[in-house]
Amino acid sequence: MITSAKELKYTLPDATEVVANIEIVKNGEKWTVPINEANTDYQEYLKWLAEGNTPEPADPVE
Amino acid sequence: MADLNVNSIGDASGGTTTTVNGYTPTASNMAGRNRIINGGMVLDQRNAGASVTITTDNTFTLDRWSTAATAASKFSVQQSTTAATGFTNSLLATSLTAYSVAAGDIFALKHTIEGFNVSDLGFGVASASTVTVSFWVRSSLTGTFGGALQNGAQNRSYPFSFTINAANTFEYKTVTIAGDTSGTWLTNNGKGLLLWFSLGTGTTYSGTANAWASGLYFQPTGSTSVVGTSGATFYITGVQLEAGSVATPFETRQYGQELALCQRYYFEERKPIYGTFSVGRVFNSKTPQFGYKFPTPMRTLPSVANAGSGCGAWYSSGSFTQLLSPAYYQEDSSKENVSTVSLIFAINASLTDNTTITVSSWAANSGLSFSAEL
Repeated sequence: MITSAKELKYTLPDATEVVANIEIVKNGEKWTVPINEANTDYQEYLKWLAEGNTPEPADPVE
Repeated sequence: MADLNVNSIGDASGGTTTTVNGYTPTASNMAGRNRIINGGMVLDQRNAGASVTITTDNTFTLDRWSTAATAASKFSVQQSTTAATGFTNSLLATSLTAYSVAAGDIFALKHTIEGFNVSDLGFGVASASTVTVSFWVRSSLTGTFGGALQNGAQNRSYPFSFTINAANTFEYKTVTIAGDTSGTWLTNNGKGLLLWFSLGTGTTYSGTANAWASGLYFQPTGSTSVVGTSGATFYITGVQLEAGSVATPFETRQYGQELALCQRYYFEERKPIYGTFSVGRVFNSKTPQFGYKFPTPMRTLPSVANAGSGCGAWYSSGSFTQLLSPAYYQEDSSKENVSTVSLIFAINASLTDNTTITVSSWAANSGLSFSAEL
């Protein structure tokens, strides 16, 4: 069961900022989940969102 | 003893049920016939034989085996060396309380088969193949127990029962199930077929035995509840699901083959402190990046986590700094059969762009875990 989530952001060489991973805490363990429809953790994250939960925004890229 | 040289041996009735020592060889029951991975319970990458108290739903225990649990801490799961003759291991579920199952409760063991591995069964159409599930089971309880087959969407279910006659004795069970001619059954890298063994399920999720139904059922109504008796044990091993109506002997694979099959869904690599995983570089002044190759192509782009204390990076100054929050950089998320990934990390140090780093274990028995489970 997901108890919290946070977006992870990185910067491409052309300076574009991208959110391509979600950090979740599931069953007390921290996992980084790719934005991938076939990944069952990501499927669970989408359900978590549908239940009205909101992820923490990504930290600003330095 | 004379030799017998013939060109073919056929069924006297013209059918396809000629037997050899009680075994009926067909194209579907030779090597590769068992659709269950780790049915002999020999692999436990996550817990290495340690007992796990199940506190939440869908907790993975032994490789490829997870759980349903609508309430916390009602049972534990552990790889056991108590096994049926011919096996070295079993999966042991132990009841931790005497819990009265409510109508909406589900406590169960689950194995999910990838759609690719059941695509030939033709479920969902009129020609769906019959399948047979066989397993060795032992319990401190006796009576009629239950399980079920389901499709990936969990809107088609076939509850089945089996009887344990003697307490604390391994017994061999077989269940033959006519293939489902309805419903949607995935034949890709998604959830193809779910096999459940119930440890206690309420009336809401209990159905009529030995019939396909639209709905979500984990056992036949009235099955024995393992979680209902404190200290009750339930061991299972030698689980096989194969095409056809005959339960053939358990297909024992070589250990390396079984490990590779498991690593398609979960893989972890741990090393002693400073054990090296890879070499990478720094970009954007503070982002270590390195490539990682899996021993087996994974089902899809996996989730990643630190195993133990995770990794650290040696960099040019000779310093060693901890790598935090592994993440992916520029990966194709739609890809199946993922062999390599590019990982990046947060770091509490300032580094110079394009500096070479050596990625090593941050502490003893640490590294990375990857999960592409179903």
